[in-house]
Amino acid sequence: MKELKYLFSFPFRKKINLGYLFSLTLSVLLALLVGALIMHLSGHDPAAGYKAMLSGALSTARSRGDTLAKSAVLCLTGLAVAVGAQAGIFNVGGEGQLYLGALASAAVGGYLSGWPAWIAFPLALLAAIAAGGLYALLPGWLKVRLKVNEVITTIMLNSAAIYLCKYLVNGPLKTGERGISAGTVKIGAAFAFPKLIRLSNLTASIFLSAFIALAVWYLMKRTATGYEMKLSGQNPRFAGYIGINSGRLMLLGMTLSGAICGLVGMFEVFGIHKRFVEAVSNEFYYDGMLVAMIMRYDPVGIILMSLFFGALKIGATGMEQIGIPSEIVLIVQSIVIFFMAAENGITQSLKERLVQRRARKAARREEGAA
Amino acid sequence: MRDIFTIGLLQNTLRTATPVVLAALGIMLTDHVGIMNIGMDGMMLCGAFFAVLGSCFLGSWVAGLGAALACGLILGLFFGLFVIRFKSDEFIIGVALNIFAGGLTVFLLRTIFGVAGAFSGSEALPIHALPRIDIPLIGDIPVLGQLLSGNTLLVYVSWLLVAVLYVLAFHTPLGFWMRATGEHPESLRAAGVSPEAMKYLASILCGLLSGLAGAHLSLGYLTLFAENMSASRGFIAVACCIFGRSNPPKVFLAALLFGFIDALGLRLQSVGVSSNLTSMAPYVVTVVMMVWVVQRGRRRRLGQGKLPDT
Repeated sequence: MKELKYLFSFPFRKKINLGYLFSLTLSVLLALLVGALIMHLSGHDPAAGYKAMLSGALSTARSRGDTLAKSAVLCLTGLAVAVGAQAGIFNVGGEGQLYLGALASAAVGGYLSGWPAWIAFPLALLAAIAAGGLYALLPGWLKVRLKVNEVITTIMLNSAAIYLCKYLVNGPLKTGERGISAGTVKIGAAFAFPKLIRLSNLTASIFLSAFIALAVWYLMKRTATGYEMKLSGQNPRFAGYIGINSGRLMLLGMTLSGAICGLVGMFEVFGIHKRFVEAVSNEFYYDGMLVAMIMRYDPVGIILMSLFFGALKIGATGMEQIGIPSEIVLIVQSIVIFFMAAENGITQSLKERLVQRRARKAARREEGAA
Repeated sequence: MRDIFTIGLLQNTLRTATPVVLAALGIMLTDHVGIMNIGMDGMMLCGAFFAVLGSCFLGSWVAGLGAALACGLILGLFFGLFVIRFKSDEFIIGVALNIFAGGLTVFLLRTIFGVAGAFSGSEALPIHALPRIDIPLIGDIPVLGQLLSGNTLLVYVSWLLVAVLYVLAFHTPLGFWMRATGEHPESLRAAGVSPEAMKYLASILCGLLSGLAGAHLSLGYLTLFAENMSASRGFIAVACCIFGRSNPPKVFLAALLFGFIDALGLRLQSVGVSSNLTSMAPYVVTVVMMVWVVQRGRRRRLGQGKLPDT
């Protein structure tokens, strides 16, 4: 019962870091300004561009649905980064885990298409979790047992998984259906997530996404395991002294991270494509990583920020319509990161300068008095 | 078998290894001063784009190379400014740099050249490729000549740089200072040398090398710019740097190994193996090699009676 009370208590129980919020807002505004400058230099009207972005993201029911769907993907991938980072392990390989999860669930959904949904759907869910989780467990295990740098191995495993999936859907798992160049067999129609808004990408998977996001937040912020993860992530040696098994927590964080990515893949397949296609993800994981990094792996922050970044991403398609390449959004996003990453250093040096000036003033005053 | 293992395979090995060699040398320098540069992939991508840009608009490969170097210089300074001056997390800056580069190059590709995907030159704007250099006497030797002669300019530059950087890193005071920055910055400061200056120097040199690597990709190895054409080579270079224990000749050998696997994959495609499977090879081999190298290091430490690091 007490647990339940915590679960529904307002997430911001501790004081919100106002300084952080201020620099975040400033960073976003500055990044948008740089984006405007780039648009201006490349011969587009920045005001029209941002207007197109706004209407592209929010003007119709369809675009609002797309924005929400995109936000859910960003939120889950961002949380996947955060859950690993909290335990002190960086999963950069979510893209590969996403692909494998998508492929595994699509295979299950395709081959069991005649089965009743209540058996096939959970099996597909499990397949996605297992594929993503196990594929993340491998670099996690290498890191914990053999001390192999997980950043490099996960990046390498990304490319390996993507090429493997491409091979499989062009070869052994290719559907015989006409007109499909590279894809698996279509999943059973009964398994697909129903669309919530016509023509949009928003499907019932959003409820599952919301549940996962809540569960991850609960794990990270409200459980002993989450706290142990944080401790061992920040200071593995200290955690070791007080009897926390850091390695086990790293493995847990990594596997969870991979499982979430696998599920994102499954949602894409069962919601939008209805089969595995090569373009199941377009660097979704890296977008989520940006969100997680900007919010410093804070789950609540990630959930809120993914809404904003989701709107930016979908808004970019609106800019595309008036001839501005949508990649401008990637530029703006990475500039936010640059500012946020430098924020500490900049405020530090500003503070130092302030202290120095005060000291100098005080010294002068003393001189004047003497 | 005879179709696969030919002299062409070795020629391709040299060609495909070169960008990795150049990138790995740059990463090695930052590794010496204690910075892990994950952003190399993006830096290379920018270098490749600006090489094509310079080559097209200024009408010569020299300008292309210059543009790539200028881009590398700016990115190196930028990386240094954030990591050294603002004390940002190098991992975050690296990842952001990669995404930034991916976005910027495609944005510029579409804005300036008006194409999506790839630009391989047009009638009005041809890409001027790097020259091939034929070495007079060596070129006549049967097998060796085919390997050593007729490569593009930056292949030779990369060989030269392996030697130069080896001497710089291990036989000059500057190299010693740089390595000391990574291992014991305070001692270096006590000796009157600024570790920050060494870090800036390393990031700038790393940036310049990334420019060369990019220029080789788009003006030497291929004569075009394609979206995301660096294809994780920057990360493979990080792995090579780890295999080679930040020692130029060993890094060179590690990069050659990857060039060989890449080239072997291309060759296998011609006998009917799926290109997707052969493309997997370099990445899988990198993971296997990482494990092998780390394991060997642990054994060696254990053999010396030291505890493995926890």
